Amino acid sequence: MARMKFLCDAERCIECNGCVTACKQEHDVPWGVNRRRVVTINDGVPGERSISVACMHCSDAPCMAVCPVDCFYKTEDGVVLHDKDLCIGCGYCFYACPFGAPQFPQAGAFGLRGKMDKCTFCAGGPEKDRSEEEFRKYGRNRLSEGKLPACAEMCSTKALLGGDGDVVADIYRERVLKRGKGAEVWGWGTAYGLPGGGQKPAATGAKS
Amino acid sequence: MPQSLFFRQACVALMLTASAMWVGAQPATPTAPSPAPVAAPDSASTTQAQRQVEQPGNNAPTWREVRKEGQTHYSSLPARESGVLIQSAGETWRQLRNGPITFYGGWLIVLVAAAIGAFYLWRGTMQLHERPTGKLIARFALIERWAHWSMAISFCVLGVSGLVILFGKHLLLPVIGHTLFAWLTFLMKNLHNFVGPLFIISIVLFFIIYVRDNLPEKGDLQWLLKGGGMLNGEHVPSGRFNAGEKSWFWFGVVILGAVMSASGLVLLFPNFEQLRSTMQTANVVHGIAAVVFIAMSLGHIYVGTIGMEGAYQGMRTGYVDASWAKEHHALWYEEMQTAQQKHTTGTTQTNVPQAQH
Repeated sequence: MARMKFLCDAERCIECNGCVTACKQEHDVPWGVNRRRVVTINDGVPGERSISVACMHCSDAPCMAVCPVDCFYKTEDGVVLHDKDLCIGCGYCFYACPFGAPQFPQAGAFGLRGKMDKCTFCAGGPEKDRSEEEFRKYGRNRLSEGKLPACAEMCSTKALLGGDGDVVADIYRERVLKRGKGAEVWGWGTAYGLPGGGQKPAATGAKS
Repeated sequence: MPQSLFFRQACVALMLTASAMWVGAQPATPTAPSPAPVAAPDSASTTQAQRQVEQPGNNAPTWREVRKEGQTHYSSLPARESGVLIQSAGETWRQLRNGPITFYGGWLIVLVAAAIGAFYLWRGTMQLHERPTGKLIARFALIERWAHWSMAISFCVLGVSGLVILFGKHLLLPVIGHTLFAWLTFLMKNLHNFVGPLFIISIVLFFIIYVRDNLPEKGDLQWLLKGGGMLNGEHVPSGRFNAGEKSWFWFGVVILGAVMSASGLVLLFPNFEQLRSTMQTANVVHGIAAVVFIAMSLGHIYVGTIGMEGAYQGMRTGYVDASWAKEHHALWYEEMQTAQQKHTTGTTQTNVPQAQH
């Protein structure tokens, strides 16, 4: 199976937030929750770069490792998903995540956290594929329809790539060779291990 | 990484010092021409704007910025820390929590429990040397018992729920399965969150009520040096509370109680714009203090229940037998005797219930 990965080309991202909007629209994401966000470095000064960031579906996912109820699981495609029926809203995944992906729609007074919500790589959740319940909890399951994540599909400059990691890497390599700059594959070291490190995606259930 | 960071900072500091000295030296030697300081080609202080002039397409300065801990950039989303592209401290927190806190913390509690069990098998319940006289002495007033038990019960609820949250994944989940365990842990989390504030209130009340009799006294050092006579059965004279109880009061209730309360409140109310790093630190402090607190409480609970004859009854009913008081708290007993002799009118005895043996 393919190993799904996200890659944001900082040389192309124009901070239009189209990916954020596409995601919210596709999944009916609750008010106040954003599964994806765009961060701009050196905003307004020379050297400005923007990156669209969401859950990167890490190989050795920290959220998975710290979850006290073990509600996370990994699909065959390397997508990190979670079961909202098991989630207790403790916030540990949010402490551990390097990318700030886990979101908590506030459920009670005094900042009491509800069930965690995050990017699913448009792969839904543990419910039956494309079921009403799956959509309500996790949003659309585009992967089961043979489609790629809505954010990457919607990206106007094709800065955000999402799909089979090998294909994504090939596209990016070609770009870098053509333009001769901007080879930084942001976040890949953190999410997928260092290149040549031989780090294979962790098997389902394996964690430190 | 920390080494290189230190090196960079040292370099910057050296350069600053050197330039300051150079500026300071200027008026004294106006004729000496000095070469203008040139930034090293790969200096970390180079901005992206400078770098792009020298090497178009080299974005290293930009990406160096991203990795700086606590570096915030611009994001149009109005969420807390939305401008932080990446945080490395989460991995540190994960390693601490899943590593030493779980491993050493777990073994600390297991080993302390095992040591107490072994001690019980070896020594058994600490019996009274003399026969109970049947004459009871008031030891704990109603409010004192209420303060103790509200703290004790909330402590136990917090301790058990906390243990489930930290160790349940390894011990309970494989036995009872995901669905039941998640339901149980959700219950535990909510119990932990709602009982926590009650515990904090009970600590404050307990402190106010008990602090006077827990102030250090002359005999305390003697008591500690002899280990309270735990090993040889010797009874070291002590006041109303012995040095062991006082240590538990000051290190347990006061210090650990304050640390647990402060770190717990940081985690309980995430709606005060505190950052992830604050909550990570609070969680580490909370976890370490908790396993120490629980391990110590096992000792206290042991002595207060099966470890010593008559101790539990004292906190349960408020009265202890005269021979218990004489053996375990000799100075307090004498104090009570003299106090009673002063007010010896005969009426004081009528309210005291008789022991049922």
